[in-house]
Parts: sequence; C-alpha cells; structure tokens
Amino acid sequence: MISKPNSALVIVGHGSTVNPDSSGPTLDQAEAIRREGIFGEVYSAFWKEEPSLRQVLHMVDAEEVYVVPNFISEGYFTKTVIPRELELEGAITERDGRTIKYCEPVGNHELMTDLLIGRAEEVGAGVRPEETTLFIVGHGTNLNDNSALAAKREVERIRARGRYAQVLNAYMEEAPLISDWHLLAEQPNVIVVPFFIADGLHSYQDIPVLLGIESETGAAASQREVFRHNPHHLRGRTLYYANAIGTEPRFAQLILQQVEKFDRAHEVMAVL
Amino acid sequence: MMRDLTEALHGWLEDGSRQIGEVLIRCIPAGHELRHIADRDSTGLVTSSRAEEAQKIALLAEDGSYRPLKTAPTLRRGWSLELSTVAEVRRALDLLYPAMVGIFRDFQAGTLHPVMLRETLGRQSGMYAVTRKLSDPQAQALIGSVCRSDGGCLKTILWKIDPALGITSLPTEKFDPAACQASLRIAEPLPMLCHEACNILVARAREVVKSPTPKE
Repeated sequence: MISKPNSALVIVGHGSTVNPDSSGPTLDQAEAIRREGIFGEVYSAFWKEEPSLRQVLHMVDAEEVYVVPNFISEGYFTKTVIPRELELEGAITERDGRTIKYCEPVGNHELMTDLLIGRAEEVGAGVRPEETTLFIVGHGTNLNDNSALAAKREVERIRARGRYAQVLNAYMEEAPLISDWHLLAEQPNVIVVPFFIADGLHSYQDIPVLLGIESETGAAASQREVFRHNPHHLRGRTLYYANAIGTEPRFAQLILQQVEKFDRAHEVMAVL
Repeated sequence: MMRDLTEALHGWLEDGSRQIGEVLIRCIPAGHELRHIADRDSTGLVTSSRAEEAQKIALLAEDGSYRPLKTAPTLRRGWSLELSTVAEVRRALDLLYPAMVGIFRDFQAGTLHPVMLRETLGRQSGMYAVTRKLSDPQAQALIGSVCRSDGGCLKTILWKIDPALGITSLPTEKFDPAACQASLRIAEPLPMLCHEACNILVARAREVVKSPTPKE
C-alpha cells in the first residue's frame, strides 16, 4: 500500500447545482481514503459545487498534490476544464513552491470492467446470464466527450468474457438510445448498469424515465422516502436497474491505484 | 517550509469566540463548539462530536431545498458540533464553508490574487463561452441580485468587473473584509472571501445572455 503522509490528494468531481446526490460518491471516496491515513490531506473539488477548482488549492498545506479526476472518461472535463481551472501545464506542474501531479481519470482504470460485471451480478442476483441482455449506459453527447467511447470499450471487454448472452452499449442522447432498450434487447432478462459516477440527475432521475420505470422525472434519490425495488416487469421483459457504477465503494481503491500508476509512469520516464 | 492551516486557525481561535458566516465558534472545556449564530442561546440542539456531520448540516436548507452554494445565508439551525481538536474544527469548517479558512490564510499572507469578472468569463468554454457577451449593465444587475448578502451569498467580494470598473450594484460593505456580511454579529468574524466569480454566477450569466429579454 502507498504511504504519502507529506502529500495531499484532491479528488475532482463534476457536482451539480440542482441535485444534492451528485457529489456524494466523490465525497464518500475522499472520506474512505482519508480514514486510511495514506495521505496527509484529502480533499474533494467540483466543477459545479464548492470547493471549486479555483478554491481547492488554497485549502492545501502540502507541497506535493495529486489530482485524480473522478470521471468516467477522458474528455472535455479532464482534458480542458480541469487543467484550465487548476492552471496545470501538463502531467506535472511546478507553481508557488508546489508540485501538482495530474493523474488519469478513474474511468480509465482497467479494473472498471470487473466493477461493471460485479454490479450487474449484484443487481441481477439469481438471473441466468445466458438469458440476459446487459446494457452499459453512458451519457452520449455531440460535444467532445469520450463517455460514449468509454462505454463502448467496456462493452467490448465484457462481451469478450462471454458471460452474458448479449452485451450492449446505449446512451441518453445519441444512438443507440436507451429508450429503445426493449427493441434492442433479445433476451427475457435485462440488466441496466449506468456508467455514471453518481446516482444524480441522469442516472437516478432521467434514465428511469427513458426506461419506462418512472412516468416523469422524480425527486432526487436522497429526497425520496423509498428507494426503487428491482425487478421491474416492463414491455414483456424482466428489468433490473442498478445504481451508478461510481457509487461502488471499490472506486476508492481505483483512485489510489491511479496515483500509483502516475508514480510508476513518471519514475520510468525519469530513469529514461 | 510546509504551510500549516491548522496552526493558523488555532491562532485565530485563541482569542475566544469567533464567527464565520452563520457559524459561531466558542471555546468549551472539551475543545470548541460550533453552532448556528441564531442558536447562540438555544438549548436542546442535536449535538455531535464528529466533524463529518457538517457535510449533512450544510447539504440542505431548513425547508429541505438543496444548497449548492455553501456560503448562502441559508444554513439550517438546530445542531451543534463539539470538537476536541482544532484539526477537527478545520475539517468541519471545510465542509460548512469550503476553502474559506484557507483563502483567508492566503489573503493574510498576501498570496490571494483576485480575478476580474471579465477574465473569468473570458476563459469559459463550451456552453459557458457565451457569457463573455454579458454587458456591463447586465453584469451589474446580475451581481446585485445573485451576490447580495441578504438572500444571496455571505462572501466579501474582492474582484471587480474589470480593473477600471467596480461593482456599483451592492453596498460598499460588501467589499470590506472587516465588515460582517451575516445578519447577526455575535463575535469577531473571520471573513469569507470571494476572489473570483463562482460557477453559479457564471451559469446565471449564461441565462441572462441567452434570455431574449434579460431577466436581471
């Protein structure tokens, strides 16, 4: 296990100005890592909430700061917004007596495939995989974001393991659309795993409407009295809807492993 | 030498009771107690000794609405935190009012650099790139509405619209770190400083620019 008592870790999430649950997983992962005592300091920072990316470095005492984006994919936020707002010059930035080390986003980690399969098995416990269609659902967008590509990559990896009869990627805003799930799925059982960080606006409120579980966008998860129960019998199928993959507690380990990966990569580069 | 914010906070708390935003910090035999300023004489508060409870306290307002802006004057009442170390006080304050203690430390050290609104809007991209079209009168009206201490935000503003254009839509105390922005002043306040327009203001600027008839 790594030990960095003189370093700080900053986990960056998207956050939301409308949904109180959006920042929850990032705050939870930060708290889990803080309790392990690996870093001298652990903070969260957000694009849409506080502390913002413009504020967070003022909280830090340490001279070495690791920044890990808690994002599903490499793209607009990890390549443009976070570096710009933190005034990063690349993987390593030296500024005001500090060294800021910018790690890869959590979604890039190779263990993501195992976590997605684990989540599908958990939500569809007892369901025969050979009679099941598994959907990995991403946001999908026309902007320069790679979330759709990341979902597709994970689907190919899961498909290669041959466990589920059918594995498909689907999106909220581009084809194949998750709202067409009943047309795309060939199997009687359908498991849907949202490839999102939080059970926020998209995965808790929007996708259930697109699936037909809800007739209209409901309240946020934390503001409902009853959490939804699986399975849902809809459109002639048995549908299981999982929590967003980012709520998986093992995400904290992925964050730490992205730090280790950064150190390994830059040690090798230093030697070369 | 590594900075030590906990030590700086220890120094600020040495002289007795302090106030930050709507939070009153008092010395108690077991360490420090945090509570809402309006609860200064209240009894029967829900008390915790865990700094992490501050996260839940800061999340929702009294009416159950979400508080994306933690420095909004909507902190709910009815709680107290009894914390044994200054490190725990720092942790609780970082959850109640994220980054405010660290920003004040850097302000005192002379290393906090205010960023003009035009610079903040000018570097936006994607859906927020349009905010650079915000006119000066629109900016004045928007800031006067979103940032006001009574109902908007309790931070003290350190930036201007541009170096030659100050904000005229808010009272002069809004720009004075020595002034108390909360409606009640119970103890010597630690100012909450705004060195750059937040994303909530930027998002509202987008609404104003996109609106056919400006709302503000």
